[in-house]
Amino acid sequence: MTPAARAGVSSPWRPPAVMRPAEWQLALPLAVAYAAFFLVPLGLLIVVSAFDDEKITTVGFAQWRKFLGDPFYWKVILDTVKLGFFTVVATALIGYPLALVYLGAGPRWQRVILFVVILPLLTSVVVRTFAWIVILGREGVINQSLLWLGLVPAPLRLLQTEHGLVIALTQIEMPLLLLPLLSVMSRMDPNLRDASAGLGASKWRTLFRITLPLSLPGLVAGCMLVFASSTTAFISQFVIGGNRLVYLPLLIWQQSLVVYNWPLAAVTALTLLVSVGLGVAAIAAVGRRRRAYA
Amino acid sequence: MTPIRLTRRHFLISAAATYGATMLGGLAHAKGSVTAAMYPGTWEDAFRAHVVPILKKTHDVDLEMTPLFAVDQIAKAQAARGAPPFDAFVLDPGPRVTGIERGLFDKFDAKRLTNLAKLPAGAADESGVTVAAQVVGIGYNPKKLPRPKSWTDLLKDPWVSSLGMTGFQTTYGTVSIIEIAKQFGGSETNVEPFFVEIKKVLSKVAAIGAPASMPSLFQQGQCDITYTNTQTVATLRGRGVDIEFVKPQSGAVAFFTTMHIAKGSKEIENAYKYFDTVVSAPVQSALMQPPNNFIPVNRDVKLAADLPMTSLDEMAKFVRHDWSKINPLRAGWIERFNKEVAK
Repeated sequence: MTPAARAGVSSPWRPPAVMRPAEWQLALPLAVAYAAFFLVPLGLLIVVSAFDDEKITTVGFAQWRKFLGDPFYWKVILDTVKLGFFTVVATALIGYPLALVYLGAGPRWQRVILFVVILPLLTSVVVRTFAWIVILGREGVINQSLLWLGLVPAPLRLLQTEHGLVIALTQIEMPLLLLPLLSVMSRMDPNLRDASAGLGASKWRTLFRITLPLSLPGLVAGCMLVFASSTTAFISQFVIGGNRLVYLPLLIWQQSLVVYNWPLAAVTALTLLVSVGLGVAAIAAVGRRRRAYA
Repeated sequence: MTPIRLTRRHFLISAAATYGATMLGGLAHAKGSVTAAMYPGTWEDAFRAHVVPILKKTHDVDLEMTPLFAVDQIAKAQAARGAPPFDAFVLDPGPRVTGIERGLFDKFDAKRLTNLAKLPAGAADESGVTVAAQVVGIGYNPKKLPRPKSWTDLLKDPWVSSLGMTGFQTTYGTVSIIEIAKQFGGSETNVEPFFVEIKKVLSKVAAIGAPASMPSLFQQGQCDITYTNTQTVATLRGRGVDIEFVKPQSGAVAFFTTMHIAKGSKEIENAYKYFDTVVSAPVQSALMQPPNNFIPVNRDVKLAADLPMTSLDEMAKFVRHDWSKINPLRAGWIERFNKEVAK
């Protein structure tokens, strides 16, 4: 049912979608590019993963068996998903209050907040990642401050730990959460919150019954982007996590570029694709559920 | 104002003229160009400053550089299947052996280099030519740690709690770990003793990092001792970092960086000119100066004072490795390293 029909307004007759070629033709360039540069390589990836040996001569599933039969690799999969989960939680917990500030701010401050949110995107992720070495290092800003304040007796180990990596990724991925969230927030009808307050609801009740459900699509979209981006953030994972933290992207790099075992690299890449896909689907499902409640 | 009316004829004439002009431009560059894969960072900067202008001046050849690490070059060339994305490789010994095994290089005729006589014996073979040497040993911060003597010191206190490590992804990392293993009874093909020993001290090790992040980690004081090459030490010192190079008791490790012509290249002539320029005395001498800090291979170049040897011949006494034996084992070592050192 079209929105107009749902609203009970009679709309002028338009031909059904399939008969209007102009619209779907607009998607053709992207569809062709998508097929050529994503579907074909993906197909190749699947084919390559079904070979036993590095020289890609014997068909078989030895690499799949090796990968899925080894508890170490299962732990790597779990760690990768866990990293994405923690980053999503951290960005959402820090980002959502900022989005609320944005919602309550005047147009001028909204522009300032938006600029500050976009600012990190203007520098390369490599630069931001290396900056985190300076911040998290043993003689870095955080440790120097903690030592100076006398809060810790010796420098904390922050680099090459999971929480250090989550801290860095939270900052690096924050714009991905905030941009969809702010765009949904800015379209929210302010009268709804006023009405809620006028009907006697407390600020918290308004937040949980009005603002949160209405901003949920933006929050869910942001969380999906953050999850997909943080689980595949090879540079940040490798530079900040080092070799102590092993995630799927590191394995793909090692197998494809150092060892030249492309079948195993393909197996790892497909595993990453599936686990990220499942994670994103799970976030979307949670979002749908919450919306049904609201 | 009269609007410009473009008829088909006018369009074709101007198109032909434009095309002709482009061709003329091509004629002016008749000597052409060569596309070379190049290590990003120090190498790329140094080559841009010293090789590009001299190659242009002496041979009228333009050098285009594609920044790629050795392993990436092999992967790209292999994926391209006979239509290489560049004409010349620059490689460490491990990837060099892989390249030979997978038939990625054009047969090299060393006699075409005018500087051949200036290079040490064995510097050129039928796969390519040596353009630089690397010496690997220990780099440490003398203000924070006593001077280490041997590879085994890396795994002892007080050094181990400031140790920065990398795995088998790089050439210098691999040879250093082999040398540590040797001190504990291992060999070029047996690094088992290293894994046994590292396990005992793993929780103390300060950093196990990505190779590209090691200089930053050292500069930030995250680690104060690491295995590294003379070039990295000299570069960090140039930036004011407290770091000194130590030749371990069992000897420093030497390996050579080589250049090769990609099979299927159409710029073979220019590739030889490029290699000849790189190994010529003026270029080698310029590459040795800070901030480049290369180790030259041309005998006419007088070695810098801070290098751990006084002549190129002395390098024959340094520890060398046979990468045709190491390569087949490397995948297993990398997997083992992941499993042993991951938290």
